[in-house]
Amino acid sequence: MRRSPGFALAIPAWVWLALFFVAPVGMVVWFSFGYKPGIFGTHANDVLSLDRYAEALSPTFFSTFQNTLWVGIAGTTLCLLIGMPVAYWMAVKVRPERRGILIALVLVPFWTNFLVRTIGWQVLLAPEGWVSTLLQAVGVTQGPLEILYTRTAVLIGVVYNYLPLMILPLFVAFDRVGGPLREASKDLGAGRWTTFFRVTLPLAGPGVVAGVLLVFIPLMGDYITATVLGGAKGNMVGQLVASQFQAAQNWALGSAMAVLLILVITATIAVGAAIVWLILLPIRRRNRLVLGDAPPPSDPPAAAERELQGVGA
Amino acid sequence: MSESRTHVRILASDGAARVIRSELTRRGFLGLAVAAGGAAVLAACSPGGGASPGAQATGGAVEDSLTIYTWGDYDAPELLEEFTSSVGPTITLDSFSSNEELISKLVAAKGTSGYDIVVPTGVFIPQMIENGLLSKLNLDLIPNIEHMDDAYLGRAWDPSNEYSICKAWGTTGFVYDKTVITRELTTWADFLDAAQNEASGKTSVLDDPGDLTGIYFWANGIDWNTDDEAELAACEEYLVTSLAPHLSAFDSYPGGSAIPQGTQVLMQSWNGDARLGILESPDPDRWQWVLGGPDTEIWMDNWAIAAGAPHPEAAHAFINFILAPENALVELDYIGYHTGAKDIEQAAADEGLPMLDFVFFTPEQVETMHEGEVNEAQERRVEIWNATKAAAGA
Repeated sequence: MRRSPGFALAIPAWVWLALFFVAPVGMVVWFSFGYKPGIFGTHANDVLSLDRYAEALSPTFFSTFQNTLWVGIAGTTLCLLIGMPVAYWMAVKVRPERRGILIALVLVPFWTNFLVRTIGWQVLLAPEGWVSTLLQAVGVTQGPLEILYTRTAVLIGVVYNYLPLMILPLFVAFDRVGGPLREASKDLGAGRWTTFFRVTLPLAGPGVVAGVLLVFIPLMGDYITATVLGGAKGNMVGQLVASQFQAAQNWALGSAMAVLLILVITATIAVGAAIVWLILLPIRRRNRLVLGDAPPPSDPPAAAERELQGVGA
Repeated sequence: MSESRTHVRILASDGAARVIRSELTRRGFLGLAVAAGGAAVLAACSPGGGASPGAQATGGAVEDSLTIYTWGDYDAPELLEEFTSSVGPTITLDSFSSNEELISKLVAAKGTSGYDIVVPTGVFIPQMIENGLLSKLNLDLIPNIEHMDDAYLGRAWDPSNEYSICKAWGTTGFVYDKTVITRELTTWADFLDAAQNEASGKTSVLDDPGDLTGIYFWANGIDWNTDDEAELAACEEYLVTSLAPHLSAFDSYPGGSAIPQGTQVLMQSWNGDARLGILESPDPDRWQWVLGGPDTEIWMDNWAIAAGAPHPEAAHAFINFILAPENALVELDYIGYHTGAKDIEQAAADEGLPMLDFVFFTPEQVETMHEGEVNEAQERRVEIWNATKAAAGA
């Protein structure tokens, strides 16, 4: 164990997390083993069982979860694809004295309440909203805009609401890579894309992971954006949990659903991480740092090192 | 006092806090009610309060503030201001979006919620009384109750208005776009048929388990409070396979945006909300309101005072104030629902308020409106509601 003064720094956070995170989650897990006693009761735990989990694993849960997962993955992917060039541009191309203002601009949406922002999109995308009227007036579309209450609308809202959470960690990560490494890479003969994919991106990897998790996890639990803009097409599993706690007043079943949701999200992230790890395996092999003797010339992955050594010499 | 002491002993014998937290059992709640109403606790949180929940307000001095916990945008702002300027207390408003939310907050606070006035829907009141969440009204302090229509007093959930007085009541019907649906729709069966034809993919239903399953039950002449599993299963089958693929939204307030913005073609809607939406529509003639037939819902929200209310005198003064005939009319104009006041239909007509056919119904129509129940089928209805949502989102 570390010396106590250092440990003391973390005490406020530990206490906070223990009281307001571990304890509530523990209660949810505990409730999930109980049952609903009669119509005016919400939960009781005098008989413990796993029956609520069996009830929660219904076709309704799976089809709702499928929809949630689709929104989660598509939304996160879009945020990553849109956020990465912007973050790179902000961190690398823009003059340093202008970065502050750009970060402030990225954060502007957060100045307004989440729900108000989302409802703003609902007003914009409505068939008789001004976007629709404008597009018809200039002849881009023939009839009214038919975007509201579709998955496209959900994705528009999701990208809008979550993009800052993707851009900020990416910006920090790209910024930390630093110019000298990129220059060194170019000096060694690598082009722009090679430098990006073999130097900048691997070093910014933790930022990418942070951004993806920061967007994906809250998105899986968010049902406001999806229902406001997607209507029936924005059915999310978070609503299912809320409906058990509120409308059905069945806290036991709601808790079991919440625990399942936590487990499934964890599993999804694990599967996602495993897939990324497998995809990157050959690249990592190619990029591995070789200390000592150069590998035998017949080894194909060594081609890159040879190339670099040749240029260096 | 000895009675409270007995109850405190019961509370103690219940032991662990966990048991008290699993409140909704009767015993837990008795303890809770007394915890809220017991002299010591009240003395701590309500300096002017009496010894029991029933005798909180005695007509003494009105406190200087009042907290109202109600549905969103449910009272005319000018009345709230007028109350403060003429009677004195400053008003703090807080809102909930479902009775369950209101109940869970009052339960969690165990009489210390700080709310004075709450506005539960009638069918939830027996549960709230039984669990000690409401305190008795002192009707001597609310003489304006004489302006209420007897038809809206003494309802089944509170036969002698000991705890509650009607705040507003409404019903459920639907609104359709006459430019798309050119035939005349009159019943819930017509609604279901149009949803699967002209209005497919442009239909919304209320985001509420009872109202969603109600469409099927009302259309088929079945009691919408049924707990018969065969009927519930048939309802689920129909909603999931026949109706869900045609739904585009579950929207409890289409009047807020869907009607003014022309998002949907067919919308299940509460009468006051439909009225507001059509009033705000740039093209009101496009929309047709239909009271659902042959049967539909009636719901009634009620003024009530939370147990342990810190400002009981102000709360009584406010309820009395809002029931005055001239104020009832302002309320009706603002929210678009009947407040249950006597002769208000004539007064509203004299005042020239618009679209009163959304607010007032003939006695024959009122005959077809039935109250919902919070009964054993509630969980099953939630299940059907979730299954329909899942099918509509697929």
